[in-house]
Amino acid sequence: MRVTQSLNQAQFIAALNTLESNLSQTQNKIATNLSFTTASQNPVAAGAVDNYTQVLAQTKQYDTNANSAQTSLGTEDNALSQVQSQLQGLRDLALEANSGTLTSQDRATIATQAAQIQASLVSLANTRDGNGEYIFGGYATQNQPFAPSANGATYSGDQGQRQVQIAAGQFVAVSDNGDTVFNQIKTGNGTFNATAGAANTGTGVLGATSVSNSAAYNGGTYAINFTAASTYEIRDSNNLLVTSGPYADGQAIAFRGVQVTLTGQPAAGDTFSVAPSANQSVFTTVQTLITALQTGASTPASKAQVTNSINGAIGNIDQVLNQAATVRASIGGRLNAITAQQSVSSSQEIQLQSSISTLQSLDYASAITTLDQQNTTLSAALQAYTITQGLSLFKYL
Amino acid sequence: MPDIFGITVSALQAFQSALDVTSNNIANANTPGYARESINLSAAAPQSNGTTSVGNGVVVNGVIRAFSQATANQLNTSQSSLGQLNALQTYSSQIDNLVGTTAGGLSTALQSFYGAWSDVANNPTSTATRQALLGKAQSVANSLQSTSSELNGLNTDINTRLTADVRQINSDGAAIAALNKQIVIGTAQAGGQPPNDLIDQRDQLLSNLSTLTGVSTSIESNGALNVFVGNGQPLVLQGNTTNLITVPNQFDAAQLEISTATSNGNLISNTLTSGDLGGLLAARTQVVEPAINQLGRIATAFSQSVNSQQNAGLDLTGKLGANLFSIGAPLATASVKNTDSATAAVSVTSPSALTANNYILSYQAGAYSLTRATDGSVVPSSGNGTPASPLTADGLSIVLSATPAAGDQFLIQPTAQAAGTLNVVLSNPSQIAAAGAILATPAGGNAGTGGISAGIVVDAANPNLLTTASILFTSPTTYSINGAGNFTYSAGGNISQNGWQVQIKGTPATGDSFNVHSNAGGTGDNRNALASANLQSLPVLENGTVSVNGALSSLITGIGSQAQQINTAQTAQAAVNNQAVSNQQSVSGVNLDEEAASLLQWQHAYQAAATALQIGTSIFQNLLTAVRAA
Repeated sequence: MRVTQSLNQAQFIAALNTLESNLSQTQNKIATNLSFTTASQNPVAAGAVDNYTQVLAQTKQYDTNANSAQTSLGTEDNALSQVQSQLQGLRDLALEANSGTLTSQDRATIATQAAQIQASLVSLANTRDGNGEYIFGGYATQNQPFAPSANGATYSGDQGQRQVQIAAGQFVAVSDNGDTVFNQIKTGNGTFNATAGAANTGTGVLGATSVSNSAAYNGGTYAINFTAASTYEIRDSNNLLVTSGPYADGQAIAFRGVQVTLTGQPAAGDTFSVAPSANQSVFTTVQTLITALQTGASTPASKAQVTNSINGAIGNIDQVLNQAATVRASIGGRLNAITAQQSVSSSQEIQLQSSISTLQSLDYASAITTLDQQNTTLSAALQAYTITQGLSLFKYL
Repeated sequence: MPDIFGITVSALQAFQSALDVTSNNIANANTPGYARESINLSAAAPQSNGTTSVGNGVVVNGVIRAFSQATANQLNTSQSSLGQLNALQTYSSQIDNLVGTTAGGLSTALQSFYGAWSDVANNPTSTATRQALLGKAQSVANSLQSTSSELNGLNTDINTRLTADVRQINSDGAAIAALNKQIVIGTAQAGGQPPNDLIDQRDQLLSNLSTLTGVSTSIESNGALNVFVGNGQPLVLQGNTTNLITVPNQFDAAQLEISTATSNGNLISNTLTSGDLGGLLAARTQVVEPAINQLGRIATAFSQSVNSQQNAGLDLTGKLGANLFSIGAPLATASVKNTDSATAAVSVTSPSALTANNYILSYQAGAYSLTRATDGSVVPSSGNGTPASPLTADGLSIVLSATPAAGDQFLIQPTAQAAGTLNVVLSNPSQIAAAGAILATPAGGNAGTGGISAGIVVDAANPNLLTTASILFTSPTTYSINGAGNFTYSAGGNISQNGWQVQIKGTPATGDSFNVHSNAGGTGDNRNALASANLQSLPVLENGTVSVNGALSSLITGIGSQAQQINTAQTAQAAVNNQAVSNQQSVSGVNLDEEAASLLQWQHAYQAAATALQIGTSIFQNLLTAVRAA
């Protein structure tokens, strides 16, 4: 095969170009710490890295969302814990008011304190977060949800519950609307509510109530009528006799799963009613208490009326405390879920970063070896060129 | 009778010529296209004296070019393939780099955009997060526009190079034709001896031509070379050339096609598959156009998904959300050859069914047929192209302004301009629809335990969407909507009306009612923002199997693979070409050492002949001396 000098030259220059471009590519990889700098160098990895980077950004965003959810839930939890302590104080005041030694004057003083607590409850229900949003307004977070009224306070928010996404397909509620938290609270013991008739003339006072047999309880409305001071009969809403019996002070009266305790001495014609619990707002409960406290009581009968009212209010306050505890427990559960998800997310982030790094980061040891090899090849080629170029027959002529 | 003087003079002359030929080889050792020459000697006819026959010296028959048509053809073919791959590689590697930078930037911009929706969901009443979202939307638009304009820039570049190539082909063709004339005359004048140097020049021009486009040749008996391009379109016939010209595409004037400069203008773009010209045309249809269309398809699905989610929510002012992005409609261009002035209007009805193809719509024999522009395969379609019954296919809806004439054609480019025309149209942060459009609420005095979901929008276009509707339980197991109907209640089942959908759970009591009403005032609601943030993983492409993010990742992989494949093919072809060059040079190249040896060979021969002449002279001298002495 004939090898010509000009071809030799051209091929050497082409080879030199290739060698130098390979060398510069390796150099570039080392300088950027990337195993590929264009998609064509590793198309599958380039697509995968793009995909992983997107998922990573998404996961980081979920983290941001989780932090925001924690802040929101923290604000709500804090507000509810204050609601609890205000109500606990109110409950103590109510118990104090119920002790027989207090005068109407004393109760009026307590009523003033209760009114202050009412005001601070309304203000807590109108709590705003760092962004100025009313946290108990449902979706209507830019309008004050509770406005004081004669009956307590009226709610103008909605039933919305804001959610935040903390993982793919996982949403966590970061608010509870004021209606659920403050308005939808069952009266009495949560199942039924026993009340004394307004026209009672005896000193009968309602005590503890409970559902003694849930299978027998049918949610009906009943009246406990005293036909005589020592005899009662129980009639249902259709005025049909359910049962009747002799009255003994402090002894439980049980019928159709309902158990009611009465103390004191009811008079003939006195009546007590048992009705399924209805929803009543915390503000109405407090307002009822205030009204009861402000009611002057001079006769034993009127004192019994006031005591019944205050007892009823205490029962209702207990329901509110229950509700607040339930909501706070739910907040705690959500915060736990967020924390759990955050730890999952952070290990996912580490996993993704390591996947990206595996695909994209340069193996320095092999890159340096390649650089060394390419460098050696280039110098060898240069040397070979100078040697072969010296060969010419013309030198010997 | 042979004589020493005659013989040696013929030898001296022959060897002088041989030395000339060798020197000429050395002189042209680096001349492109030069084919090594050698002298063709033969013994002169002998003279016979009746009993013996004695040779009569040497005769120069001519100078021979060291040339092999086979290796030359092999080299030209390999150069054509390499030229094609070089051109393809230029564009595929540019797009490859583009993907690494600006399309990578698009991926980041999209992530930030969806992240900004999450920020709005975390804080829906904040103007700052909404403003940030508008900013991120703008960077998505900027990124798409700049990628698209870079890709369109490649098309412009292709046009420029096509024009330059055609000019070069014409000028090479003209030069070959001129050389043909000189070679025919030269051969005749030299008694059949071809003018080697002119043939060298012609072969070199042919070799140049072969890097621009694939050529085939035939040689006439008079020595003229005919050159054909494409499917045998004559470029040079003897001393005449048929020029090539660039003409605008019948649909898209911005795309140049190649045609012969004959009166009937034969379009030959499709037959030019090799050489730089073939590479440029292939780069346009195989590299640049698909990238533009795929990017446009992603842009279309992206904007449509964001817009329709916007439409399903309420903005801060309580109005249904307006579109966040505007995007150019699909292009439908009538061929300049159409005889009717009917125009086609195309809209995207289902982005998930969109493909990255362009289509040709033809009207023939009273019926439309839709074919893929790249391979001509028929795409099934339905409808008759009227507003009442649009022609639908692959997520497109096509309406023609009138019935076109038979044979009329339209080019449909569903996504070609989408990426470049994506713009943010909202400017007021309060117009971002973060809240759900409707809200379901139980009525105040409900006795049962029935709870209702907040509700979702399934048809934002329903005119009664925001009208308050009431679901009333006529019994614990049946309900009516707005006083009408008597539906059976199933806990958790979907209840749909007016474009919304809610679920009721629990045990409602007779007389319980639930209202579904506009969520105006629910400015703290983030349901629609949550849904928008989730669009990033929603499969809105490829018939609901691929998300916008996924499509972007596969675009990067696709472009990278294509560039890698072209790089590999180019490297392989470069090696093949090197081999072809070696083969050709092995036959026709000049090796200086070989020429040095030849020089010595002829020098020695010349010296020997000269010595023979000297001996002849001295023999003659001796004879004269003997005669004089006698």
